[in-house]
Amino acid sequence: MATALQELNGGIASVAQAASRSLVQVRSGRRGAGAGTIWHADGLILTNAHVVGRGDHEVELPDGTRLPARVLAYDAARDLAALLVAASGLPTIPLGDSRSLQPGQFVMALGHPWGRRGAATAGVVIGIGDGLVETPFRGRDLIAVALPLRPGNSGGPLLDVAGRLVGINAMVTGPQVAFAVPVHVAVAFLKESLGSREGEAALAAG
Amino acid sequence: MTDVLANVSNDLAAIVAAASPGVVRVEARRRLPASGIVWSADGLIVTAHHVVEQEEEVKVGLADGRTVPASLVGRDPTTDIALLRAQASGLTPLPWAEPDTAKVGHLVLALGRPGPSVLATLGVVSALGEGWRTSLGGRIDRLLQTDAAMYPGFSGGPLMDASGHALGPNTTALLRGLSLTVPAPTVRRVVETLLAHGRVRRGYLGVGAQPVRLPSALEAQLGQPTGLLLVSVEPSSPGGQAGLLMGDTIVAFDGQPTRRLEDLLGQLTAERIGRTVSVRIIRGGQVQERSVTIGARDE
Repeated sequence: MATALQELNGGIASVAQAASRSLVQVRSGRRGAGAGTIWHADGLILTNAHVVGRGDHEVELPDGTRLPARVLAYDAARDLAALLVAASGLPTIPLGDSRSLQPGQFVMALGHPWGRRGAATAGVVIGIGDGLVETPFRGRDLIAVALPLRPGNSGGPLLDVAGRLVGINAMVTGPQVAFAVPVHVAVAFLKESLGSREGEAALAAG
Repeated sequence: MTDVLANVSNDLAAIVAAASPGVVRVEARRRLPASGIVWSADGLIVTAHHVVEQEEEVKVGLADGRTVPASLVGRDPTTDIALLRAQASGLTPLPWAEPDTAKVGHLVLALGRPGPSVLATLGVVSALGEGWRTSLGGRIDRLLQTDAAMYPGFSGGPLMDASGHALGPNTTALLRGLSLTVPAPTVRRVVETLLAHGRVRRGYLGVGAQPVRLPSALEAQLGQPTGLLLVSVEPSSPGGQAGLLMGDTIVAFDGQPTRRLEDLLGQLTAERIGRTVSVRIIRGGQVQERSVTIGARDE
């Protein structure tokens, strides 16, 4: 019989494995590579605005396929950007409820810390919303997580224990403290910036 | 398949939710507020000494959203504990863990309330050790170190075990920035002393000292590499009255070698106040003996 810890490890591994199929790498101009999260099967990729620079953008899928990407929408204040690649049938992550996250809940992040491809890390929600003090981003709706994220994690998915997408990992303020943009903010961003047709298609993914 | 994972996650969040009423915000400095632990239903709050930078207009933020005035009952810098009395009643004290239940590797949650809501980080018990003395001479009954991240404003907040019991207040101010938890027996002793006397009495010499290397000849003679150089001596203090001078180097106190500051501070305990002990010093390259009567400092 598996011990509780073995079962726990199995659970963590299956969440990480399932979501890793929706984790991409984003290269933009002369910037280092960041991460991205497949939002819609027809090629819509969500990442951070700070990952997307000037010049040409390229998305590398988990299978190694490299595709040129177009910036559909960009919001520096929310630190979000939407990219489009010519692909279909891409695997997406079901959306979770980022408003109901509680401090202490387990979360996982996927990304490419320091360029290490597809790395997973696990920790807990520190807090959300206005309970967070002393963030360098006052007034922004964020999830604080106790996770050791590094450059290259930006744009990757933050997952709850059921493997649902609850945030887009965005910034680091300490060795063990990071912030993610809640998925409800990402939904609002896509709704506002992509408008009706593409927006509806994008939201249909959730 | 992910049942255990979901259960662990729910349990962790439930511990945070259950502890939340016992975790308060302590507004006693200009910068970011810190955290505190409800010690008693009638308003006693345990927090970290180093976050109480002002003794007037201290406020405590409760889980129900109220912010109430609080007064400083007392503080003990040597164990980094301060005791406040919040003007509130019917509070929910945190349940405390039985001593010696924590094991290295156990999951623990660090909680804080620097803002309106309770915040949490997860880690493990990294190290457990024997009782130790802080650099200011405070006696900590047991070393308890964690790797749980200390989010800004977490000082004074509790470390919780997996059964939802508090292990003690967290502080990074006692030992080189490490995340340490002051264990419950130490907290209880300091709280009782502060309630009874408003302070923790400490022996007092009235000197300022810093460790210095001894010349090799003296190191060979005394069998110790370092001593404590006096950088200040208050004239009418016990040290001043014993004839100690700035520039002397204390190499032994009451027969015990003083290599580090802790070696001296550890001997200035409350029970030795009033006792006359020998002090071995180096002055002008010569070893000399003096007698000093330990005075009292009320902190």
